[in-house]
Amino acid sequence: MRWLEKATELISRRRFRKGWLAFIIFFFLVFVIIPTVFVLSYAFTNWGDIQSTVLNDPAEMQKIWTAIGNSFEIAGIVTLVDFLVGMPMAWMLVRKKFRGKEFLDTIIDMPLAVPTAALGFSAAIFWGITPADLTNPLGLNIIGSPFLLIILLHIVFSYPYMVRSLSAILEQIDETYETAGRTLGASKLTVARTITLPLFRAGLVTGIILCFARSLSETGGTVVALTTVGAQKLFYTAPTLIDEVKKNSITNPALIPELSFISIILIVLALALLAVMAIIVKRAHLPIRKIWPRPEKILSRGLAPKAKDFSSILFLSFIVLIPSFFIFTYVLTATPSQPMNWGMFGEALLYSFIVAGVVTVIDLALGVPLALYIARGRSKRLPETLDILVNVPLIVPTVALGYSLGLFWVGGQPVNGAVGIVLVMLAHIAFTYPLMVRSVTGAVEEVDPVYEETARTLGAKPVQAFRRVLYPVISSSILAGAIMAFTRSLGETGATRAVVEGANTAPNFIVNLVQAHDYYSAALACIVLIVISYAFMLALRYMVRKRRRD
Amino acid sequence: MPVIKLEGIGKRYGDIKAADGLDLEVRNGEYLCLLGPTGAGKTTALRIISGLTKPDKGKITFDGKVMNEEEPENRRAVMLSQTYALFPQLTVAKNILFGPDIQDVPDEVKKRTLAEMLDLVRLTHRPDAYPKELSGGMQQRTALARALASGADVLLLDEPLRAIDARLRISLRQELRSLAKSLGITTVHVTHDHDEALVMADRIAVIRGGKIIQVGSPAEVFDNPVSPFVANFVGQSNFFVGKVGAKREATEVRGENGRSVMAQPCSCREGENVVVAVKVGNTEISKEGEGFFEGRVERILFEGRNLHIDLDVGELGRFAAKVPSWRLGKLSKGDKVQIKWSAEKASVFPVPPGGLEEELRVE
Repeated sequence: MRWLEKATELISRRRFRKGWLAFIIFFFLVFVIIPTVFVLSYAFTNWGDIQSTVLNDPAEMQKIWTAIGNSFEIAGIVTLVDFLVGMPMAWMLVRKKFRGKEFLDTIIDMPLAVPTAALGFSAAIFWGITPADLTNPLGLNIIGSPFLLIILLHIVFSYPYMVRSLSAILEQIDETYETAGRTLGASKLTVARTITLPLFRAGLVTGIILCFARSLSETGGTVVALTTVGAQKLFYTAPTLIDEVKKNSITNPALIPELSFISIILIVLALALLAVMAIIVKRAHLPIRKIWPRPEKILSRGLAPKAKDFSSILFLSFIVLIPSFFIFTYVLTATPSQPMNWGMFGEALLYSFIVAGVVTVIDLALGVPLALYIARGRSKRLPETLDILVNVPLIVPTVALGYSLGLFWVGGQPVNGAVGIVLVMLAHIAFTYPLMVRSVTGAVEEVDPVYEETARTLGAKPVQAFRRVLYPVISSSILAGAIMAFTRSLGETGATRAVVEGANTAPNFIVNLVQAHDYYSAALACIVLIVISYAFMLALRYMVRKRRRD
Repeated sequence: MPVIKLEGIGKRYGDIKAADGLDLEVRNGEYLCLLGPTGAGKTTALRIISGLTKPDKGKITFDGKVMNEEEPENRRAVMLSQTYALFPQLTVAKNILFGPDIQDVPDEVKKRTLAEMLDLVRLTHRPDAYPKELSGGMQQRTALARALASGADVLLLDEPLRAIDARLRISLRQELRSLAKSLGITTVHVTHDHDEALVMADRIAVIRGGKIIQVGSPAEVFDNPVSPFVANFVGQSNFFVGKVGAKREATEVRGENGRSVMAQPCSCREGENVVVAVKVGNTEISKEGEGFFEGRVERILFEGRNLHIDLDVGELGRFAAKVPSWRLGKLSKGDKVQIKWSAEKASVFPVPPGGLEEELRVE
């Protein structure tokens, strides 16, 4: 083990640590932040082109603004609904004890394991009024409005984020505050509303940002859902519009200014919204301070809380879970139109898993150190700035991010082969890296630095203090970050298509099948992807549990 | 064991000066208590010694060797925080062996160290317990054993008795001190409790506003404080403001309306404005005889062994005295009593520049 000691010695030297830190920050800025917003520079260099081809075309402008408006409206509504129904669910998961709680806890995450492209298809055939070649005897066939359909779809995959963010915070809020409030004579509802809710701010910001950003940037599922109900040329969200313009721009380079323009608008609006949201949540007195003792007392007892819990579970079942897995019924009832190209699908799966694997490893290696630096450097300027910057790729819609990143690395030229794979990986790193950093930063902040400091004075080098003292405590959060990064990369469509149009990833494969109206094969591919993703997630969970027990 | 020297240490956090030209020497094998109010810079001083905080200026030496740039792990100065920071995921044995594990000590040596340490801190029966299963006292002993097993030369204790309940705290004082002394380890013990410091320390260093204002044996610091602040912080004092009158074997200090008190001889000039400080416990009250002045009993607090008496002395403000409990019943609220003290128990200080109230402020 001599080499290990030597390595420990080497990386403990102060100069090495400084160099390593500089490298981490350099990586973050050059590989994550700058590529994410690089497209903004296009506005300065090529404003003339934008002016002449986009701004002077009222019909096209109309289309762009409508799409952007749709996106923001959908994201707003989705976030609001998530909050309203996610809150009671989070409460139930953290504060209540009941049979089947573990089970409920596990199924909440299920939609996260399903790639959005598969979700889009599944939700569309469950809710939507589908064309004749897609009839499903079990489908509801009631939602005709694409706007409503997309809202229902986005709720499915953003809901778990909201519940998770809220329950994470609720777990840390000391129950003694609630007990104190109750003993002072307040009803459960009053206490929850006026004492606990205001303590939620941080978790709420995270939840809102995650849900909003997730809805704003979702591409694959939205494209698939709109195509399934035949509305892909009638209704656009900003990402689906970018996706289409991007595809057309390969044959028609004159569309480049428009593509850049939409991306810029989307990024700028998203960033502005991030800033406004941060301020609002910090300043605004979220709950109403006034107390209505009698009605609140009535609502705290008897049927009302039971009805609340029951409707939470009903919502989870019918709005989130059934639409997610409805696709299974389709395969059972429909008849195949074309034979499935298993060879190509196998390649796509391999492609996706290699990308997700490499991306997760890089996120781990370079994200954990940054998280440590941010969490332990509170009150210093640089770490605080990095902490804010980390949110940027989270809120920037991934299609815009992908396009921007392609522009940064290869000047927006179409690429293929090995370069293409590397580019796809870079794009996936850009939007998964913040997930990892966020997850680990949160966990490290919970651990009192006194443990590592004591370890240092006991003779541990910084690496040893991390390995032996901090790591065992935060390992589950690191793993959670890794799972999140992996599944997000596996399910991503928008960024992949924006950066390498023809990249044969599994979600892209599915989108292409749907666009070619080969629904049966698409459904089959979705199911395989769901099963594999889910098995993978269960395996990881099992590993964490086992580790914890050891 | 090293002699630790801090010279002209400065450390700022924004506008707050946590160390402001701090000078301190800790002698070889000494048990030194760093005593001061909250926010005086006690913990900062401790962290600078351990290397966890780098001073902005000044020099820190161990046995004359400059340590400013040395990493914490190379100083052999173990920090014990208020909560002991026992690693929650490790057993008592694993916690104790943390240092040896890191230094890759051979297994048989580790085994021996563990046995020795468990014996030393009387935990032979609990090596496999987890920290949360231990009582406060046991946790503290485990933390001590862990520090000693790592080969520490210096123990840095940050309010080590704070989290322990009152009764146990008193007995742990002796235990902690005798363990450190028997091993000859240089110890710096941070506390805001003057009783604790008086009982435990070889020497006490009183710190305030990031500066050491007095260092000396407990008796010196208690009996001969260098400032009204020290007089009041290390055991509560009564204060009397006046002008220096006649100076013979004792100093006479005249108050505003002709009242005068006696105090120790001082280097003050006649007619100078001074503050006289006398410990509450050295303030005598009686219903008969003649005192320096008269006061009215305002409140009597029964403290078990003693009675704490608050007195209203008109324009002189409030005085306090401690008298033995047997006098309970002989004194009652509203009684007029004579107040006096022996001259040699009262210290004389020049009037502090910011006024007496500012000088005594504890935050």
